[in-house]
Amino acid sequence: DRAPMGPNVHIHNGILQVRAPNYEDPPGLVEKTDQLLRDWIGIYHSQHQGRDSTKAFSMFVHQMNVYGILKTDDLITRFFRLSTQLCVETVYRVLAEKTNPSLSLLRPKCYHTLDAFVRLVALLVKHSGDANNTTTKIHLLNKVLGIVAGCLLQDHDTRITDFQQLPYQRIFTMLFLELNAPEPVLEAINFHVLTAYCHTLHILRPSKAAGFCYAWLELVSHRVFMGRMLATSPQQKCWPLYAQLLIDLFKYLAPFLRNAELAKPVTMLYKGTLRVLLVLLHDFPEFLCDYHYGFCDVIPPNCIQMRNLILSAFPRNMRLPDPFTPNLKVDMLQEISYGPRILANIAMMITPPQFKKDLDSYLKARAPVTFLSELRGNLQISNNPGVRYNVQLMNALILYVGTQAIAYIRSKGLSPNMSTIAHSAHMDIFQNLSVDLDTEGRYLYLNAIANQLRYPNSHTHYFSCTLLYLFAEANTEAIQEQITRVLLERLIVNRPHPWGLLITFIELIKNPTYRFWQHEFVHCAPEIEKLFESVARSCMVKSTV
Amino acid sequence: GVAPLGAIPLLKEHQTQFQLMESAFYHMPHLSDSERIRPGWPFEKIERIDVNMGARYLPRTPCPTPAYYIQSPLAHSDSLEFYQRLATETLFFVFYYMEGTKAQYLAAKALKKQSWRFHTKYMMWFQRHEEPKIINEEYEQGTYIYFDYEKWGQRKKEGFTFEYKYLEDRDLN
Repeated sequence: DRAPMGPNVHIHNGILQVRAPNYEDPPGLVEKTDQLLRDWIGIYHSQHQGRDSTKAFSMFVHQMNVYGILKTDDLITRFFRLSTQLCVETVYRVLAEKTNPSLSLLRPKCYHTLDAFVRLVALLVKHSGDANNTTTKIHLLNKVLGIVAGCLLQDHDTRITDFQQLPYQRIFTMLFLELNAPEPVLEAINFHVLTAYCHTLHILRPSKAAGFCYAWLELVSHRVFMGRMLATSPQQKCWPLYAQLLIDLFKYLAPFLRNAELAKPVTMLYKGTLRVLLVLLHDFPEFLCDYHYGFCDVIPPNCIQMRNLILSAFPRNMRLPDPFTPNLKVDMLQEISYGPRILANIAMMITPPQFKKDLDSYLKARAPVTFLSELRGNLQISNNPGVRYNVQLMNALILYVGTQAIAYIRSKGLSPNMSTIAHSAHMDIFQNLSVDLDTEGRYLYLNAIANQLRYPNSHTHYFSCTLLYLFAEANTEAIQEQITRVLLERLIVNRPHPWGLLITFIELIKNPTYRFWQHEFVHCAPEIEKLFESVARSCMVKSTV
Repeated sequence: GVAPLGAIPLLKEHQTQFQLMESAFYHMPHLSDSERIRPGWPFEKIERIDVNMGARYLPRTPCPTPAYYIQSPLAHSDSLEFYQRLATETLFFVFYYMEGTKAQYLAAKALKKQSWRFHTKYMMWFQRHEEPKIINEEYEQGTYIYFDYEKWGQRKKEGFTFEYKYLEDRDLN
């Protein structure tokens, strides 16, 4: 990780203060904190005052002053750290009470302590500095979040399998709700609150604190959090931060999902992930559209449904023509002349720089031919089956060459179609890859293409034509079989199915030029043949096969 | 499931992650963990009993229910129209036992629509039984029906003075 900058630095400072070895507190501070915390919990829960604790709060701040807590930044930090730890200890003690008559009473008991502490933090943040001094408030918030995160990581590493998510989840959630109340002071710092939370959640991502993963997903998918991040904050300023959190989640799940051995704990997290994606697809499809590249880059190739959810997203103002319409003319659609927004720097991902240079000069000059013969070597990173290729590089290469091709065709005053895409440096690369790669490489390569088959746009159209062209021009049946496989396996799963994917598959089986039904692999096994027939039936509603 | 590229043994760090995740799996977050405490009514009275705070709330108590029972509330049961069809006593229950929720807000709105008025000193709902005998700038006086949350029932009060300064008149929009 890079050295943190800006307000972020306070989160890291907070974490460091907890995690520093031999962190000794001045004598008596633990006792003072304990006493203050008890007092506050009492005040918070006493009649009338609990509801609007402003008056009680100023008296309490006076008390903190008397105890000397507010004298230095260091003491305040220590106070927060000790309070967090005391609250957490209380929760562990309560949850260990086996004698309690009813388990449902244990949790409210934990909330009793945690909620009081959270209100104290919220009030301290709100009232720190002058009313208009946002900087002080934000620094304090970052510091507190860092401290809680630090306590969490410390606790996670020492208690290991006995770690409890509850106290931290409750603190983070309730503090978030408190800080998102409709008050002018809080609204002025809302964007900073959201950023601080995103940084904290990124630090606590499942790969760093696996024992916190379920609570982490609850936080990330919390109704209010999602709404604030994706709907309320202006100019979509929080979208990249939220996308980062989803990438953290996908990256964590990847090694478990790619082996398809779904133990119960993995299944649970996976189901939660699917639900989050469904909510996003329904409520924020533009978000999934914009970040589809980065998401597909980290989702393992076998997670077909997960990827379909992302690839099926399309802008809400768009009306997709029914792919099953007979004689649908995709070329005639307005939308296919517009490129989609890709919020990832594809060119930067093509490494090493020398390879990028060679690629660009090949695209320009269509020479030397050695570039093509060395292409496979540039993509391959090992000889171990299953991990032979640099998937990220493959994805970047395919999309980069595709977008360059579209620009090149346009520069000649033409638009991409089955004939204009052929006989170019770009198609040389694509054809070379489909012939030269082994089965594993070709599978990843064709998947990289299929990931661009989405709603009507220039990429979808270009890559749909490219895939069909590769099928038509293939010199072996193996290539055609694999193209069919990649398309089919994305269609036999439950809905949703991306529009471009359906369009491409329907064209393949409907257009006689591809002689689809004459291929041997279509008839290789009776169950496969039946499958094709049933897909064909559902694809071609009223026309005949 | 299928692994088209073949299975790869999990790295040591992923095995460790799995163990931590598995132990977390046995104490999943509860729904109530990310919700505000559900307070009941009346605070003072129950607080004196204080059964480890439990009785103060209408906490969520998830349990397996047979599939042939309805599993989620009816559609549109979070609309004012729905609340207006509820019995008055149901509205009082929602009002007193589901404080600080959207349900309480809707119940209050439905009660107001039925000409119930909230008295902020007695914390009870009143409805005119007849036209008040006196109406002036400060108060009105006459016979009222009110809902007693302690005895849990409707009572009649004759010659009651409803001072307007205790009238809860926030506009629930």
